[in-house]
Amino acid sequence: MRLSLTYQGIPIWRHSRVLGWTAQIVSGIVVVAAVAFFIANLANAIDERDIPFGWSFLNREYSTPISEHLLPYQESDTFAYAFLVAAINTLMVSIVGVILATLLGIVVGAVQLSGNWVISRVATVYVEVFRNVPLLVQLFFWYILLLGLPRVSEGFVWLDSFYLSNSGLSLPAPRAQEMAVPWLLAVVVLIAISIGVRAWLARREERTGKPSYPLLGGVVVVVVGAIVAWFALGGEPFAISVPHPEGRFGRIVDGATLSTELTALLMGLIMYTAAFIAEIVRGGLQSVSKGQTEASRSLGLGTMETLRYITFPQALRVIVPPLISQYLNLTKNSSLALAIGYADLTSVAKTMTQTAPAVTIFLIIMLIYLSYSLTYSLIGNLYNRYIQFTGG
Amino acid sequence: MSRAFKLLVGLGVMLALLFSVACAETTEMAPETAAEETEKEAMAEEMPEESMAMTSRLDTVLERGHVICASRNDVPGYGSVDEAGNNVGFDIDLCRALAAAVLGDPDAFEIRLITAAERGPTVQSGEVDMLVRTVTWTTSRDASWGNYAQTMFYDGQGFMVPSSLGVTSAFELGGAAVCVTSGTTTELNMADFFRQNNLEYNPKVYEDTDVVLEAYESGACEVFTNDRSQLAALRTALANPEDHVILPETISEEPLGPVVPHGDEQWFDIVKTVMGILIYAEAYGINSTNVDEVAVGDNVKAKRLLGTEGSFGQEELGLDQIVGQTVIKAVGNYGEIYARNLDNPDGVQLPREGSRNALWSNAPCTDCPKGGQIYSQPLR
Repeated sequence: MRLSLTYQGIPIWRHSRVLGWTAQIVSGIVVVAAVAFFIANLANAIDERDIPFGWSFLNREYSTPISEHLLPYQESDTFAYAFLVAAINTLMVSIVGVILATLLGIVVGAVQLSGNWVISRVATVYVEVFRNVPLLVQLFFWYILLLGLPRVSEGFVWLDSFYLSNSGLSLPAPRAQEMAVPWLLAVVVLIAISIGVRAWLARREERTGKPSYPLLGGVVVVVVGAIVAWFALGGEPFAISVPHPEGRFGRIVDGATLSTELTALLMGLIMYTAAFIAEIVRGGLQSVSKGQTEASRSLGLGTMETLRYITFPQALRVIVPPLISQYLNLTKNSSLALAIGYADLTSVAKTMTQTAPAVTIFLIIMLIYLSYSLTYSLIGNLYNRYIQFTGG
Repeated sequence: MSRAFKLLVGLGVMLALLFSVACAETTEMAPETAAEETEKEAMAEEMPEESMAMTSRLDTVLERGHVICASRNDVPGYGSVDEAGNNVGFDIDLCRALAAAVLGDPDAFEIRLITAAERGPTVQSGEVDMLVRTVTWTTSRDASWGNYAQTMFYDGQGFMVPSSLGVTSAFELGGAAVCVTSGTTTELNMADFFRQNNLEYNPKVYEDTDVVLEAYESGACEVFTNDRSQLAALRTALANPEDHVILPETISEEPLGPVVPHGDEQWFDIVKTVMGILIYAEAYGINSTNVDEVAVGDNVKAKRLLGTEGSFGQEELGLDQIVGQTVIKAVGNYGEIYARNLDNPDGVQLPREGSRNALWSNAPCTDCPKGGQIYSQPLR
């Protein structure tokens, strides 16, 4: 079979498609070969040096405590579950950090462009300071600052239920009882019903012209239903757990505790990342042509309205892509938690390497971080596409 | 057209796969072929199969001109930095002794500072010649990290608490927050101890000893757990050392000693011999000041150690005939190293007399034990 790859007269080695494909194939080979080399190298090293490797440890008892955990955890739980507990700790830091850093970053970014000289200078100084000091140093700074609070035996107490010391802030919190799950199920059903009620009321309002308060109707259904369910279930779904000191060291137990370590970690991550986000937001806002603002002002919109309805939606398209990479950075930077004693994924994993194969453990935490990052990217890219479409 | 391109792409992919497989094979083959070559040379000497590296570590070190030791600089007495910026300490002196033995120069060494969690991977990869970083000897580490040469210090884990708490025993620590460094057996022993005794506790795990001290001193945790010797050393770094007590309970066995990478038995033997020289010299009363006298004296065993009579295997090990003299002159014997670093009126004070780290006996009187466990294989 004769391959007619070329136009008549053009030699094959000068044909752009041939050249293009050759380049693709060569680079493909290089990439595949490089990956194969590294995998083979790892396999070799594991073999030659008898580096332990395997997955069976995942079902073994971890038998080491984890100082803080969102999920319930006991020492008798398995390695696999301990991974989950630690991964959720990191996820929580990441989500809280991302939300707060975004809010702070947007405010600071917008304020930097404010006409008020003092405020905009303060914002600039904030950005320059926090952007230019290494995050690890900032973490130590916040942590040591918080350690300056009085120790637990001399801490502040309000109403015998709020405790503040250099071990953290403890406050009363709801604790799920036996009836919690049925009650929550009931609430879910009520919400479904309320959506129907709201739609019905909205239609009624449209049809009859009488004000029917659809939103209020929906909320009332949920609230009244939830209260009725609370008492009808014969047993409170949630009890209030009040923190109190216990034992000879007066450590605070029960309630909910925001530990010093977590606070310092969040402070560090949020302040650091928000400085970058502020710059991204400022850049985004400045990328919107001045004519847009002028047109909006001449239509009679105020400063805030202009920002909200005209400038910001257009700036978003510039802001979102770099913003996503800041979210990824924040998530990955949370692995510095070990430095200040917060039990994040990396910290727990390092402890695990004492009793389980390190290579496997690091593979697992790499996969977990990767999955977080990819999820952020996916959500971010979907949102990006959404605003590109409707942004007008 | 399009079929032709598909064909091209398919060909390309196949090529890529073939290439990568070939590549993977060659990388796998390379060490074996290299090993085969040395095998022929090594056959005569009947070297065991594992140690068929291209060049021995001794040759590598001689060529490089210095010894690389993995250690630390954050624990006074074991590994820290003096006012002049030099690495000093018990562990550092062991590295100096090795440098003196192999290269004749106690300063021909490089310290690679590593964290506790990095110890295993560092020695497994063979990138350092010796790991001396207060490493506890355990069977699983011996199996997976490297070869332990010799116990140079007998340690055990303990607890330090502020004396103001009035705690007198580790069994009273229920409900406490406990500060600990990450990636050490300390963490595991602590977990075992509290679990065994049904005591609730809250572990706070940090990467660096400095931060642990900061957290402990500010009261974020009531208890600091570590090897007793390190507690004693780190206590000197606290604002008021006398306000802190080390509880009497010892909850673990921690024999500390240098580790060498797996796979080079000659190097392993050299390190064991150097450690032996230090201990043996003390047992025979040889120290840095009287080396020259003893070398020409009349004690045959001492003279053998110093290389002026007979041999204890220097040639087979690839060491200098008078390696004993070089080492003792450079760093002193075990007792001198101990006194300089760990029982120093200006620094860490861990009295040696009566502890496990005293000599087992004073040679040649093997029947008059001194009560300690520091002992060396005979150098002959």
